[in-house]
Amino acid sequence: MSRYVAGRLVESLVVLVIMSFVIYALIGLMPGDPIDLMIKSDPRLTPEDAARLRAVYGLDKPLTERYLSWAAAALSGDFGNSRLYARPVLDVMPGFLLNTLNLMGISFVISVAIAVPVGIYAALRQQTAADYVINLACFAGISVPIFWLALMLIIVFAVLIPVLPASGVSSIGGGDILDRARHLVLPVITLTVFSVGSYTRFMRAATIEVMRQDYIRTAFAKGADRQRVVVHHALRNAMLPVVTIVALSFGTLFSGALITETMFAYPGMGKLIFDSVMGNDFNMALVTLLFATLVTLLANLGADLAYAWLDPRISYGGGGGRGR
Amino acid sequence: MSALHETARPAARGPRTVWGLLLRRLLGHQLAVGSAAFLVILGCLAILTPVIEAGLGVEANAVDLTQRFAGPTAGHWLGTDELGRDLLARLLYGGQVSLFVGIVAALASAVIGTLIGLPAGYYGGRLDAVLMRLTDGVIALPLLPLLIVLAALDLNKLGLPEALVNDPNVSLYRMIVIISLVGWTTVARLVRGAALSLREREYVLAATAAGAGGMRIMAVHILPNVVSPIIVATTLSVGNVILLESVLSFLGLGIQPPIASWGNMLTGAQELIWSAPVLAFYPGMLIFVTVIAFNFLGDGLQDALDPRAIEG
Amino acid sequence: MSAAPAPSGTSPAAAVAAPLLEVRDLVKHFPIGGGGLFGRRTGTIHAVNGVSLTLAPGETLALVGESGCGKTTVARTIARLYRPDEGTVRFRGRDLAGLKGGALKSARRALQMVFQDPFGSLNPRLPIGAIINEPLKIHRLGTAADRRARVAEVMTQVGLNPRDAERYPHQFSGGQRQRIAIARALALEPELIIADEPLSALDVSIQSQILNLLQDIQAARSLAFLFITHDLAVVDHFADRVAVMYLGHIVESAPRDALFAAPRHPYTRALIDAIPVPGGGKRKLGTATRGDVPSPAAPPSGCPFHPRCPRASDICRTAMPALEAAAGGAETGHLAACHHPLDPGEAP
Repeated sequence: MSRYVAGRLVESLVVLVIMSFVIYALIGLMPGDPIDLMIKSDPRLTPEDAARLRAVYGLDKPLTERYLSWAAAALSGDFGNSRLYARPVLDVMPGFLLNTLNLMGISFVISVAIAVPVGIYAALRQQTAADYVINLACFAGISVPIFWLALMLIIVFAVLIPVLPASGVSSIGGGDILDRARHLVLPVITLTVFSVGSYTRFMRAATIEVMRQDYIRTAFAKGADRQRVVVHHALRNAMLPVVTIVALSFGTLFSGALITETMFAYPGMGKLIFDSVMGNDFNMALVTLLFATLVTLLANLGADLAYAWLDPRISYGGGGGRGR
Repeated sequence: MSALHETARPAARGPRTVWGLLLRRLLGHQLAVGSAAFLVILGCLAILTPVIEAGLGVEANAVDLTQRFAGPTAGHWLGTDELGRDLLARLLYGGQVSLFVGIVAALASAVIGTLIGLPAGYYGGRLDAVLMRLTDGVIALPLLPLLIVLAALDLNKLGLPEALVNDPNVSLYRMIVIISLVGWTTVARLVRGAALSLREREYVLAATAAGAGGMRIMAVHILPNVVSPIIVATTLSVGNVILLESVLSFLGLGIQPPIASWGNMLTGAQELIWSAPVLAFYPGMLIFVTVIAFNFLGDGLQDALDPRAIEG
Repeated sequence: MSAAPAPSGTSPAAAVAAPLLEVRDLVKHFPIGGGGLFGRRTGTIHAVNGVSLTLAPGETLALVGESGCGKTTVARTIARLYRPDEGTVRFRGRDLAGLKGGALKSARRALQMVFQDPFGSLNPRLPIGAIINEPLKIHRLGTAADRRARVAEVMTQVGLNPRDAERYPHQFSGGQRQRIAIARALALEPELIIADEPLSALDVSIQSQILNLLQDIQAARSLAFLFITHDLAVVDHFADRVAVMYLGHIVESAPRDALFAAPRHPYTRALIDAIPVPGGGKRKLGTATRGDVPSPAAPPSGCPFHPRCPRASDICRTAMPALEAAAGGAETGHLAACHHPLDPGEAP
């Protein structure tokens, strides 16, 4: 088992390194060379100045060389300065990261807290009106465009009935917990809608699948109390696919956070990525994109490991796994 | 001769082929049927937009600054937008674009995914290991950030021909290309799994024993038996593609004006929330309804194709 | 594995012709687990452990054994569906194991296979005409019209109505589907047909029909058959010679009558004794073998049959017996792999 884990970590690392090169190259292909930007802001710069500046910054060297010097600096902890914030990238990130963790974390907890019981409820009452309604609601949840939902929520709750703030993480001048909470309400709702719909469907499907199994029917035939059967047998086995799906949907959650933060001007990682890509802040864009990749990779790895650990039938690398 | 000539059993009453069975089960699924009907209507409307435009005497791109933000009138059934353009016509054109991008990108993803998954599953071994690592790698990437970067690339720097870069439809092509580039993984895994199990079937062995090569077996024996799940997956992915395209267009990275897309119709609307909230409603509503329709349809297809029910 | 000369248990008449199929020391193992970049092999299935046999043109060799003895693997390896790990498979004088591409393809024309599962061996999405036509198409024989005619011809020969060529497999019964599979095998006019338990999935009443069909076909075309089965009663009707397999080894090989009249290997004896007789009871009472068949992933040492053999002794536990002619067997081609072969008529 540990052999499998080590192997997967190595693979993830390889993907990360490859992606760092790819992203570096892609960012280089974005419109707006740093020198061009300088020229735009200072028309007195001549082409000779531009060429000289390029040489100074090493921008005239081939791609691989530039990448390697960036990588070397990165490995020693220097990720460069952010153009937009005029500070080292690593100084700027943590604040944004924290905000995103807040947003995603709260949204995730609420989603799971709703999805698990509702999904099970729907599964146990298949084909009834309640199940039908729940199913429809889930479909609606996963089909609604997040940015439009944000717009509608803003219109209703910040414009028509102005009770909640439409943007930001707190009121100007900083706020207390209550103020921050108010600012979180709409973003969290926006982000949660998709997750709830998605997780509920999976929970429902997984529960139905498990309830169909023969060993559940046997338990009922033996006269076991229905609730006990559900909790002890069905739930445990239904959790397995759900856990994997949930871990794998981290990427989707992150993308959703990106849109949500942009819509609500919420200063999180998602907005940072967007702003830095659109604002030609190369250093920041590079680092934040890599960070997003790293986190997604780890989430996928976590999903695989959780699956392997939870399912006693699977043995990775022979002789591993938990025996029954 | 030891045996008499035997004829086949008379065909059972009802559908004779697998497709017939499928259709019958699908029809029992009201939501799916309703969705299909809706999509067909939408599709027809989208294709017939120029006709409708002429019929109503409006033009989607006709700017008329004297008629900004007009409410519904006889001349403009749904009113006008911030530039005085007819809203209904623009919505219909937007529908054209969104449906086009959605379907084409979904199909392209399906093709790419099949081309990768089929050999991976059939040949197995090293090829499979390499292709699956590639697939896992792509799955592991954060989707939206990557798409944003890809959408923001400067096409000139990529070395593409001038004619293409300046083509008014270039943003359309770009959307289709980049979404397909990241969207093929689901189908790839699906097809690989199916190929892996189907290659052990005896009719595949029989074909091999008769001298069939890998290409023939994949095309004639494996692929037709995988088509159903591919169709389901592709249908379900159209909704996703539409959502992605509209987000990108909304952010200004996707379909570029003056081409109308439901997404970019909402870009302007964000600033207008305070003055004309209605403009923010229609395009998003249409996205929502279309995506949910594809999801219902895909879900219905999935149930109808459930092998347990067919082979039972 | 066997040091004895290649078993040439051919009946004297067929000994004149060169063998059509000559398998020597065939070995095929399958790994369990493993695969992927970091997986690990947790074991091996020793499916075939040194099998040798020969087949003369027009002859029927029955390969008999219970589930798990490796007979299907032998069949599939001979048909080059698997690559042998060791050993050679000479078909019409050429080693199939070394062939690739075009050479393999043309060799395949003369060697066809019929499978056990009459539904699984036909692609459910193709009409049966296309299924039977496929081998012709693969080898690009004749024009489309020629091929259609051939398909009709072959369908008639197996007792199907050519007008049903447009129908799909699920519209036929099990017996008919097996006829389709046989028609497909006959399309290329092969010299050898490997039939892997073609009757096992059929209803008993249909089995004799199909068996008769196979016999008619063989008589009409002097086809050679390698007939895999676990049913000795079927063998009685159809085979010229019989080879008995156990856990990947051939334990006895003899002309049919000799095998039934005077089996040398205790396992063969047990199989024969177990044949149900009409009217109840068994053919003869013999000492029942003990226990179950061991798993091919963990074969016993020495003679694979020793844990169950009533005659087992120390040498049986340590040394694998060679497949060689027992007393009086050399002329008739009666070979057995046993340290204590039975005498004719002896009960174990």
